[in-house]
Amino acid sequence: MSAPLLDVKGLSVRIAGTSRDLVADVSFTLHPGETLCVVGESGCGKSLTALSLMGLLASPPLSVTGGEALFDGRDLLQMPLDQLQALRGDRMAMIFQEPMTSLNPALRVGDQIAESVQRHQGVSAKAARARALEMLRRVGIPAPESRLDAYPHNLSGGMRQRVMIAMALANDPALLLADEPTTALDVTIQAQILALMRDLQAQSGSAMILITHDLGVVAEMADKVAVMYAGRIVEFGTVAQIFEDPQHPYTIGLMSSMPTLGQRVARLVTIPGVVPQASQMPPGCRFASRCPFANASCAKTPDMTEVATGHRVACWQVPLEAGIDQRVSA
Amino acid sequence: MLSFIGRRLLVAIPTIVLISVLVFFLQKLLPGDPVLALAGEDRNPEILEFLREKYRLNDPLYVQYFNWIGNALTGDLGVSLRTQQPVLTLLAEKLPVTFQLAIMALVIAVVIGVPAGIISAYHKGTWIDWLANVVALSGLSVPNFWLGIMMILLVSVKLGWLPASGYQPFTDDPLQSIRTMLMPAFVLGTGLAATLMRHTRSAMLGVLQSDYVRTARAKGLSEKRVVMKHALRNALVPVVTVITLLFGELLAGAVLTEQIFTIPGFGKLVVDAVFNRDYAVVQGIVLCTAIAFVLMNILSDALYRVLNPRMSDQ
Repeated sequence: MSAPLLDVKGLSVRIAGTSRDLVADVSFTLHPGETLCVVGESGCGKSLTALSLMGLLASPPLSVTGGEALFDGRDLLQMPLDQLQALRGDRMAMIFQEPMTSLNPALRVGDQIAESVQRHQGVSAKAARARALEMLRRVGIPAPESRLDAYPHNLSGGMRQRVMIAMALANDPALLLADEPTTALDVTIQAQILALMRDLQAQSGSAMILITHDLGVVAEMADKVAVMYAGRIVEFGTVAQIFEDPQHPYTIGLMSSMPTLGQRVARLVTIPGVVPQASQMPPGCRFASRCPFANASCAKTPDMTEVATGHRVACWQVPLEAGIDQRVSA
Repeated sequence: MLSFIGRRLLVAIPTIVLISVLVFFLQKLLPGDPVLALAGEDRNPEILEFLREKYRLNDPLYVQYFNWIGNALTGDLGVSLRTQQPVLTLLAEKLPVTFQLAIMALVIAVVIGVPAGIISAYHKGTWIDWLANVVALSGLSVPNFWLGIMMILLVSVKLGWLPASGYQPFTDDPLQSIRTMLMPAFVLGTGLAATLMRHTRSAMLGVLQSDYVRTARAKGLSEKRVVMKHALRNALVPVVTVITLLFGELLAGAVLTEQIFTIPGFGKLVVDAVFNRDYAVVQGIVLCTAIAFVLMNILSDALYRVLNPRMSDQ
């Protein structure tokens, strides 16, 4: 396979005044055109991972404490701000969770898109506006000519997220980071937005990191999946490997907590317990307190081991013997 | 927008009427008799009675009020009991002075206060923020009269850079006019700059954490553009409200500052009028200031709508 577009090794993020990492030792690679879904519960460090790559961590108090992230061979984490600014919005772009608050309420949406085009392509205001119009049309906004001069509050949530997508894709980025782009939207709109993102990605050939807690979205969009728990990647593999042969007890728990169509169950399966607080992160395996298989060896942080080509798991108990599904769901 | 302003002006009418009623009757409650003040040492009852008749002070209060307000509507605010000059003439004389002082003080306040607020919010928690806050707090705490006297001592007496007092009409000699007004405007402006700085800082702090500022950064915009275009535009909304209200306050006259620098503005006029029980002048000034305040409020709301497009659709 070709050289990776993005190669993240050992990324760690810490909040000032604590000694435990909110994102710990996160590593993955992403090739051009691929979609990586990062999945996990709220607060597991998915968004922080994406924000660190963009250099957008709220710093202070958050800061990257280790690792590297090679993008086109250059380390994003060490890059001076001016070089990073030249990449943001151009080679790499980000879509945020909240379309309601992520657009500037005081500026017209056309200007907000055109601004990014002008910044990176150095074209005239007129050409940038034409590009903004083209992007609005491509993301399927009806009557795009009249929407150019609309303010965000004139648009519905779904339309605003389309505007965000138009803005992010306006300069044909090689990498698109999407942080729960459909979470704030109605279910019917969610499907439309996902389909739109997939189409546009296919047209432009850009790679995508899609952050979600929705396994349905993962199944639909992903090539590769990274399952995160409490700041660590606990399992990494192709979408087939993760869905058909989950190895980490947490992943198995996630899979069994997904409702299945056509099957009536009295109650959905849950994973007992909650994600530990950043301040109370246990040493060793962070899932141990909720894990039905935990034993003394889990007091040490498990290494990532490869169980199949490209399928890596961080668990001392892997491979688990047969029949575990029942034990997890019990 | 025009219909909005028109509507607001209509709504302002009852407010102004209410103010006129309050001004008129509250003043009647004050102890002291204008006729006694006018007659001076001479307490001859016949003269007092003559004066009361002349100024129609024997009419029932409500008749007096309607006389006053009726005349006011035709532009006649009465004459000063002391100088016999029409109140309107007095106001027309003082208004440009106070207006010029207010504008200059406001410009100084905005030029210092808004950038200081932006910088201190952007560098929140650093020594820059700390320094800006200390300076602002000093600006708020130092009394104007003290700062005024110190400035006269330093800038006029010691350095001889600016005249210590006096007033030169702007139309006669603009440059000299600005020079004479510079120190009082600075004294007034620095105090207001501190207020503005605090407001700008808190508005900016909120906006800088917003999602759309993060989006602007994610677009690769420079920090300058992120702050000046994306953040400031939104942070200005509450700040503009404060600015217009401060301007309204300035128009009411700055009594102490005007006294120190012997500027013949509203402040001085109103103090003299109160001490001399010169009812007509006090009423005229208060009414005039109140109207200025109401107009400033309308202007503030209009600007609010310009800056905040969500408002203009409603």
